[in-house]
Amino acid sequence: MQFEESSILDVLVVRVRESRIVADIAAQFKEGLIAYVTSGKRRIVLDLSQVTFIDSSGLGALIGSLKAIGAGGELALCGAREGVISMLKLTRMDKVFRIFATPEEAAASLSLHNGANSETSQP
Amino acid sequence: MKILLVDDDPVARTIHAMLLHMQGHEVVEAADGELAWRLVEEGNISFVVSDWMMPNLAGVDLCRRIRAADLDGYVYVILCTAKGTQSDLVEGMDAGADDFLVKPISPEELRVKVRAGERLLRLQQGLAEKNRELAHINHQLHAAHKLVEDDLKAAAWMQQRLLPLPAQNASGVRCAWRLHPSGYIAGDIFNLFQLDESKIGIYLLDVCGHGVPAAMMSVTLSMVLTPDATHGSPLKRIDPATGTSKVLPPEGAIRELNRRFQSRDDRYFTMIYGVFDIPSYTLRFAQAGHPSPILVRPGIDPLLLGTGGMPIGLWPEIDFDCFDVHLAPGDRILLYSDGVTETINSQGEPFGESRLLAFLREQQLRSLDELLECLLAEIALWGSSSEFTDDVSLLALEVTKTSIL
Repeated sequence: MQFEESSILDVLVVRVRESRIVADIAAQFKEGLIAYVTSGKRRIVLDLSQVTFIDSSGLGALIGSLKAIGAGGELALCGAREGVISMLKLTRMDKVFRIFATPEEAAASLSLHNGANSETSQP
Repeated sequence: MKILLVDDDPVARTIHAMLLHMQGHEVVEAADGELAWRLVEEGNISFVVSDWMMPNLAGVDLCRRIRAADLDGYVYVILCTAKGTQSDLVEGMDAGADDFLVKPISPEELRVKVRAGERLLRLQQGLAEKNRELAHINHQLHAAHKLVEDDLKAAAWMQQRLLPLPAQNASGVRCAWRLHPSGYIAGDIFNLFQLDESKIGIYLLDVCGHGVPAAMMSVTLSMVLTPDATHGSPLKRIDPATGTSKVLPPEGAIRELNRRFQSRDDRYFTMIYGVFDIPSYTLRFAQAGHPSPILVRPGIDPLLLGTGGMPIGLWPEIDFDCFDVHLAPGDRILLYSDGVTETINSQGEPFGESRLLAFLREQQLRSLDELLECLLAEIALWGSSSEFTDDVSLLALEVTKTSIL
């Protein structure tokens, strides 16, 4: 399970360096994301541009991470490919996660430093 | 350490035995190679210091015999030679001797060489001990693995028997099904049953993940999803005033299931549940994160129905979408798990919805049962093995021509 981290503004961008988020790595995947949350990161963008497939366990891990971040933070997705997008739509997860095209767009929207976007405007 | 000292010369033997004794070793003596071999064969000898030139069996031949024999442990052999020529050493090494001493033997040389041999034997014995331990652990692991495997096979056998059989005699429809679990036990379940005299229920669900936890949850769900209202079925509601039960619309049933199956971990399941109203020929579906059912109607291209919905078990108090489809005799509906569309070929390409739709179009004329058999074979071929990586389940219904009330 490999993550590549970078920061844009006050947002942590985590690029998933796996092509398939499936049962074998789902637990590790969630542990990795939870570790960011416990270390104090609350605004995380998950870059899925290298991911071609997410199975039901992988989706479970994504949702578990979202629940762990809680109301005070946000986990957004970016760069998702067509197959992943259609799975997210089928399960209505496009209503649960905010989905962006690029990490920059996602970070600009999530950041508290953006004047147009304050903590109170978050759902 | 115990050393077998072999020499036909009693004087030399006595001197060498005395030296070894003084160096703290226990000495067993033999007057020639044959006598020595008998002692080695009896066991408990792992160190031999032998003269080369002896009647009956020469030292080098004793060495060869020791190496060829299937003894319990390694035997360290030092050959003593008076000649000390090059060819002797080569022959002795070929015979498997570990070291050589040149007569007359100096006490210091004897001490050093015996100690070197002792060290090697200790290492060898340590390794043998480790190997025995590993073999023992390996045996235990094998036994444990067999136990788990037997349990899983028994669980699969039980699960197959616990799964409800879709009703063959439901009025107005015919049905067929296939289930191919990925491991020994499945997370997919399905059923078709008569809900009351005018309604038929049909569902297929897929518990996320694989193996024992998924299978336990799927068996529990199969028990709960019963048309028998007296056992608290989420599919019906009993009117307290009249005591009669009423079939819930599918979106209501799914909402109730979601309320009951809120999980504390990330476990959830996807489900498609339909209620077919026989008099009106209307099949109403609620879709909870499950792949869209397919309508196969003679004369038109197979059609994906529905756009999705939230899976069950993630958040309470969620409303689920539903949609109606009006059926006619001859129409077929296929429910399936994502194992069908997500089976990948050797290039990593999934079977996908479009291939599934094309297959259903091409194979329309087959009987319902044949169709599912061929589809399962087609998916197995795509996955280029009979070992599916995910549960593959198929449930199809066909509206019969005689079903008009």
